[in-house]
Amino acid sequence: MSRLELLTVEGLRIDGRRPNELRKITAKTSVLAQADGSAYIEQGNTKCLAAVYGPQEVRHRMQILHDRAIINVEFNVAPFSTSERKKRSKNDKRSLEIASAIKQTFEPVVQTSQFPRSQIDIYLQVLQHDGGTLQACINAATMALIDAGIPMIDYVCASTAGCIEKQPVLDLNYLEESSDSPELTVAILPRTGKVNLMSMESRLHVDMLESVAALATQGCEQIHTILDSVVRQNTQLLKDSMLQ
Amino acid sequence: MPYLSQAERDYITEGVHSDLRADGRGRLDYRALVLETGIISQANGSARVRLGGGTDVLVGVKVEIDQVEPDAADIGKVVCNVECSPSASQQFEGHGADDLNNELTQALQRVLGGPQCGINFEKLCIIKGQQCWIVYIDAMILDYSGNVMDAIFIATKAALFNTRIPKTQIQDMGDGEFEFEVLDDVEDAERLEGVENVPVGVTLNKVWTVMTGSTKLNKEHATPLEELCTEAKLLIAVNKDGKVCGIQKGADGSIEPGLMSEMIQTAKRVGQSLIRQLDQSLHNEEAQVEEKRRNGEHVEKLGFFAVV
Repeated sequence: MSRLELLTVEGLRIDGRRPNELRKITAKTSVLAQADGSAYIEQGNTKCLAAVYGPQEVRHRMQILHDRAIINVEFNVAPFSTSERKKRSKNDKRSLEIASAIKQTFEPVVQTSQFPRSQIDIYLQVLQHDGGTLQACINAATMALIDAGIPMIDYVCASTAGCIEKQPVLDLNYLEESSDSPELTVAILPRTGKVNLMSMESRLHVDMLESVAALATQGCEQIHTILDSVVRQNTQLLKDSMLQ
Repeated sequence: MPYLSQAERDYITEGVHSDLRADGRGRLDYRALVLETGIISQANGSARVRLGGGTDVLVGVKVEIDQVEPDAADIGKVVCNVECSPSASQQFEGHGADDLNNELTQALQRVLGGPQCGINFEKLCIIKGQQCWIVYIDAMILDYSGNVMDAIFIATKAALFNTRIPKTQIQDMGDGEFEFEVLDDVEDAERLEGVENVPVGVTLNKVWTVMTGSTKLNKEHATPLEELCTEAKLLIAVNKDGKVCGIQKGADGSIEPGLMSEMIQTAKRVGQSLIRQLDQSLHNEEAQVEEKRRNGEHVEKLGFFAVV
């Protein structure tokens, strides 16, 4: 089998992007009627929906924390979202791992101490998968939390970066992701630049790590600008509709 | 679960009585419906339906090749699966939706799994006694405000209309041996045969009638509050020829025989007119997409960006 050419001689990638280019991101908040806050994000062909409920009473009494709110995350993948149909059970290990990674990412950012003895639920639904699920979920969850009016110290913006033929590349799609090139997911707080999540599942030479991480951080900053403008736009619309 | 006071209950019941409901609809009116097909590129067919301001259903259809069943060697099959996402209601978190998922899946499977579905199952068989296409219908309920079943049926019919099955080429290897090849070309993909016969579901609710004792009240497309006033409901699947393809009674009350036949007649009428409108808009949408393709324009799908 011939090896897929992920980077052409001209330095363009399989979908025509330059190495430091993000896919097209479009997002919208308040897409659902039942949830307290919701958001939908499309990053290239990856599509993700987030719903937030709360803060509200804790459902299972044993989980109550008397000084802060607990955050509960559920992650789900639609059976038709991947190229081959696969129905994942609710106890799928991979899904649970992603849910707990997202939970840990948001715990230091959401001001949970303002809501003792309560619970905030974040439900994530991947509708179409084309690489970078974790980052899309984190970005969608940030928007949904903002939409629900839950106080946070900052946005959480996530982005991936990888390394193809010693060239750091930003925002891998499914083809690039599955061609055993390393992929690093980074989530940062844009204002302080603090790193909230960092995960990599394959190996990468330590000399490359810094440049790859720097590229991912740069991607996070770009995503922050996009998300911020969406949130501002939607809030403006809300304000206009209230003033009418 | 929200709780209804007596006053609210009376308000809704009286509204149904006088053929004017809380949102201004008559007894047999649907809420405004937003429909879009082809929004999931990884699926062979997909559709999203949003009903009124709330109920949101996304259906993805995928076709896969599998071995035929030994007792049905010359037909393919349809497998349905309905899942309620917790984004629709908090009750669906964890395993909270298992019962409802099962109920909805079975209701859909019963109508679409058999010959009453209308699709030509024999056409789904690739090589007799060996391989066939399996059509997987996966419905996700993303948002909930009453009457999910009708929304699932509408979305499923639209997604099946949107579905294209890749063409296969069978080669005779001699000695009764056959092999086949799946053609990659998207242009060659064909629509499912008989998709126009797929039924839609119409749910009629018998509303709580303690005050009058009269039971001639029925209506459809109930909102969640109205569903709370429902004594019994009846799901009737109807195809374009007005044939009844399945009936299922739900909720805890009972229905008088006279009312039952009246409900079926009403469902037939409403279902047929729904199918006509649905077909019309599906053909229109497809024609628009095709024209854009021909002109080399980019086809933009709205998905969740559609105004609601």
